[in-house]
Amino acid sequence: MALEFSSETYKKFEETVGRYPKKEAAMLPVLYLAQQEFGYLGPEAIAYVAQLMGQSPARVHGIVSFYTMLTMKPIGRYHIQVCRTLPCALKGSEKITSFIGKNLGIDVGQTSVNGRFTLSEVECLASCGTAPMMQINDDYYEDLTEEKVAAILESLK
Amino acid sequence: MDPIKFTLNGKEFVTAKGRTVIQAAADVGILIPYYCYHPKLSIAGNCRMCLVEIEKMPKLQIACNTLVTDGMSVLTGSPKVLTARKAVMEFLLVNHPLDCPICDQAGECWLQDYYMKHDLSASRFTEKKEHDRKREIFGPNVVFDGERCIKCTRCVRFLQEVTHTNELTVLHRGDHSTIALFPDTALDNPLSANVNDICPVGALTDRDFRFKVRVWYLNKTPSICPGCSTGCNISVETYQNRIARFKPRINEAVNSHWLCDEGRYCFHELTAGPRLRTPMIRQEGGLVPTAWEQALREVVNGLSGAPAPLAAVLSGRNTNEEAYLFRKLIEAIPAQASLEVFYQERPLTEVQKILMSPDRSPNFRGARDMGVSSNIGFDSLMDRLLSGSFASAYVVGEDLIGSSDEPEKTREALAKLAFFIVQDVRLSETAKLAHIVLPATHFGEKDGTYTNRKGRLQKLNAALIAPEEALHDSEIFARLLDQLGKPVSLAPGEIFAAIADEIPAYNGLSYAAIGDQGVEVGGGAGHS
Amino acid sequence: MEKVLLRNIDVADSHTLAVYQSRGGYRAWEKVLRTMTPAKLIEEVKESGLRGRGGAGFPTGMKWSFVPKDNPKPKYLICNADESEPGTFKDRLIIERDPHAIIEGTLIAAYAIQSHTAFIYIRGEFAFGAAMLERAVAEATEAGYIGENILGSGYDLDLIVHRGAGAYICGEETALLSSLEGSRGWPKLKPPFPATHGLFGCPTVVNNVETLAALPWIIDRGAAAYAAMGTEKSKGTKLFSVSGHIAKPGVYEVEMGYPFKKFLEADCGGVPHGRKLKGVIPGGASMPVLRADEIEKVNLDYESVQAAGSLLGSGGVIVMDESTCMVRAAWNIARFFAHESCGQCSPCREGCHWMEKVFHRIEQGRGEAGDLDLILNVSGNIMGNTICPFGDAAAMPAAAFIKKYGDEFEEHIRRKKCTVGDGASVSSSEFLVSS
Repeated sequence: MALEFSSETYKKFEETVGRYPKKEAAMLPVLYLAQQEFGYLGPEAIAYVAQLMGQSPARVHGIVSFYTMLTMKPIGRYHIQVCRTLPCALKGSEKITSFIGKNLGIDVGQTSVNGRFTLSEVECLASCGTAPMMQINDDYYEDLTEEKVAAILESLK
Repeated sequence: MDPIKFTLNGKEFVTAKGRTVIQAAADVGILIPYYCYHPKLSIAGNCRMCLVEIEKMPKLQIACNTLVTDGMSVLTGSPKVLTARKAVMEFLLVNHPLDCPICDQAGECWLQDYYMKHDLSASRFTEKKEHDRKREIFGPNVVFDGERCIKCTRCVRFLQEVTHTNELTVLHRGDHSTIALFPDTALDNPLSANVNDICPVGALTDRDFRFKVRVWYLNKTPSICPGCSTGCNISVETYQNRIARFKPRINEAVNSHWLCDEGRYCFHELTAGPRLRTPMIRQEGGLVPTAWEQALREVVNGLSGAPAPLAAVLSGRNTNEEAYLFRKLIEAIPAQASLEVFYQERPLTEVQKILMSPDRSPNFRGARDMGVSSNIGFDSLMDRLLSGSFASAYVVGEDLIGSSDEPEKTREALAKLAFFIVQDVRLSETAKLAHIVLPATHFGEKDGTYTNRKGRLQKLNAALIAPEEALHDSEIFARLLDQLGKPVSLAPGEIFAAIADEIPAYNGLSYAAIGDQGVEVGGGAGHS
Repeated sequence: MEKVLLRNIDVADSHTLAVYQSRGGYRAWEKVLRTMTPAKLIEEVKESGLRGRGGAGFPTGMKWSFVPKDNPKPKYLICNADESEPGTFKDRLIIERDPHAIIEGTLIAAYAIQSHTAFIYIRGEFAFGAAMLERAVAEATEAGYIGENILGSGYDLDLIVHRGAGAYICGEETALLSSLEGSRGWPKLKPPFPATHGLFGCPTVVNNVETLAALPWIIDRGAAAYAAMGTEKSKGTKLFSVSGHIAKPGVYEVEMGYPFKKFLEADCGGVPHGRKLKGVIPGGASMPVLRADEIEKVNLDYESVQAAGSLLGSGGVIVMDESTCMVRAAWNIARFFAHESCGQCSPCREGCHWMEKVFHRIEQGRGEAGDLDLILNVSGNIMGNTICPFGDAAAMPAAAFIKKYGDEFEEHIRRKKCTVGDGASVSSSEFLVSS
């Protein structure tokens, strides 16, 4: 069955497009809507957005693949993104990442068997003064220590 | 408009406002190397190969995106430029597999060419190369090798800006960037194979031409595509007296840089199958080989006393010179005759319309200009033929049965003719019914001219040697005219001189002046 | 020194309209609408000496004046809130704590170029910040500061908060425009420049959050008050994000020209745990690193930092103490740029990854003689030859690390292992100590 927005999301889509001086400018917000609705942006979702936006699916595919926050594959319920860039690395982010990996039994780039956690390393999230840090879904967790991380993971398991 | 003075490598030149450095330099014969730039596509500026030094500018500038301004001083070969160019070459080869020995692009690869010219040093890259998709089929005519790709995006831009079909995109970023189709789609638009032509490297290659022959063995003959009446300029590229491929030849008045897929590959159909090598005459038991003298005598005899009326059909692939002689021939025989050029139309899609004409008769207009028309039209002539209104027929270069919507009805009608001549390169279904079969030559074997749909007169040049026993259509017509007591000259130039003399729209034109780009014939825009 | 940019952030509920107004918020916007022509406003900002805080330091008033007045196309003002330069987190602070200052500044800038549609392009990861801005825009719209016929002036302005989706390059203004046009965030060729051919080919100005957030104060207090602060060429105050091995990391507002060493030691508490300073990157990861001895006489202004061989950039100050492996630090930054290269032009696409691979090899103990010269040469071949400034941003730090810490690199290559740390971390023990 082909993917489609719920009527509620479709309304949001129309509102979003209406906010912009040109329809194509709404591409990223519309892709966010689709990612929220469908979980990830697989070929069906991309083809659907392409059709909604009046563009070729290839073009939309190219856009999706450019941005790290748009995902073409399903990910865990909690997407743990540990900053790996220099300011965080100076404060021990490399050890935080391996600690999380061991704690969850997954490597960077993997999703836990129960589908609950995906572990990623990401580049600077502009939280360098409170390094090391990670983002889980939309939320920032800062000034991390192994103890703090263990408690956070426990609360999400 | 005021001319703009600028200095190139110390010499002063003049150019027009709006010319870029790359264009203005090319205008005066200085070729600045580039990959991503294409005169018919938007400026991408991504390859950085055309960096040049411009006085008063601290950084090198890309010549493709820099407009020449008055007093500008450009250096295209300074030490700074050469260093940058060499660096760009090195960058482009970082992840390239260097598989030239098995790459079909070898010999016409810009990486190879510029490497020989601007680099010629061993790569200092000793890390593991990034891998990409190999031998991915993009479409019926296009195969992709991601590792050879330099991400110039010419293909992507062509599909965005020329065909508007947008099949390809760039995926990912950084050195993982790659050209890709959307899953479960194909690059199969009617102009798809142009991406092979514009790909400066071996990333996109032609599936039809692949592994046929090394390009440096090809003989290249400028000519005209026989696919339809657009008259796209092509290079007929041959190897061992066979056509290996057509490539588009630039002509801004006709096809710009492009060629449609149907035209590009039409030589297969037009040259397939065993050739007719001797004239044949129908005797009891069927067609039997005979000598030319005998065959032509039979034709003259038959035509002179032909049961009237005669239907004369000329192929749309015959040249103006052949059409002119054919009309003279038909005029020279006593029988009441109707003559028309073969013409059939089919509907075209928007993308097809970018280049293609609805017919498949490249010289339809030219043949009519030569007088090959009784003003009834080909359809009407065929209707009359099918209804038995003609007693005899002379069909040149067309398989009326094979091209008919009603092949059986056509076959029946042709079988009833009292006298039937077919002049062709193959023993087609139609030819099998003929009383006399004359082996002729095809578009690739002859010199002459075509006049396209819009009235542009262009030159066809022989790229192949015809089979020994076959005769050019013009020679057949000339010999017949000779036998009918109306001798004509045989050289295309001389026949053309007669045409220029006789046909008002061609007055003043000369065969020699047509050149590689063609000329407009008089009489305004084309008719169809 | 009086705070211009951080004046509100420590006040409770500073993100609300009520608190913002109670502290003089939107007074400048009213002043602009009621008393200033666009030309006068541009003049005022030129006089203040305000320079773009995104990294390049281009005079803001002059940037606005490049927008053609007679162009019939719509004009766009874009607030660049795509803060992604490693070591920089100042904009995020203002976005979360003082969003109205950004909005007011955006309104003022939009008026200067007579734009009727403005955008705040905020990096996608700032979900909380985007929510704060959305909320503030709604409040300001409700209060009549945004919308049609604003405060009865006849001036209309729509303001859209637009989220990016994860791409460092979109902080580069032409890449930001591509992204906002709904495309891959590929930088565009210049010329043409955004002032004449920006968003959708229309005249466009892109200003950084910090630049815009300074405007309400400048208009409210006058250009002269702002210009009275700072040095001759670097006026006013600037935010510095301080991270790494420093006792008191955080965002500081400093008057331009303030001594760098004093700033690090007195204001930021210096390097903790009695360790010695090894190096500091003054302007975000794309700027050349400075050795401890090189910052002795440097002041925090554009000219002084440049004279010392680096650039002020975004003011992202990354402090590294003696426990830092400079090879791994350089590799970390090279990896960042390799990951973030958009891949459009050849030198950057291939060169960034090449440098990253060589740095990584050295870090892993597989370095060879000639590797350092190779990186220096490759970085030089990228430098100045790319479509956008990203190439330089990747090339400069790579070269600087090698030039400044050549001995350590050579030692690393010769001994085929890290001689400073444990070989698995940029800084071997900091994490354990600070926790």
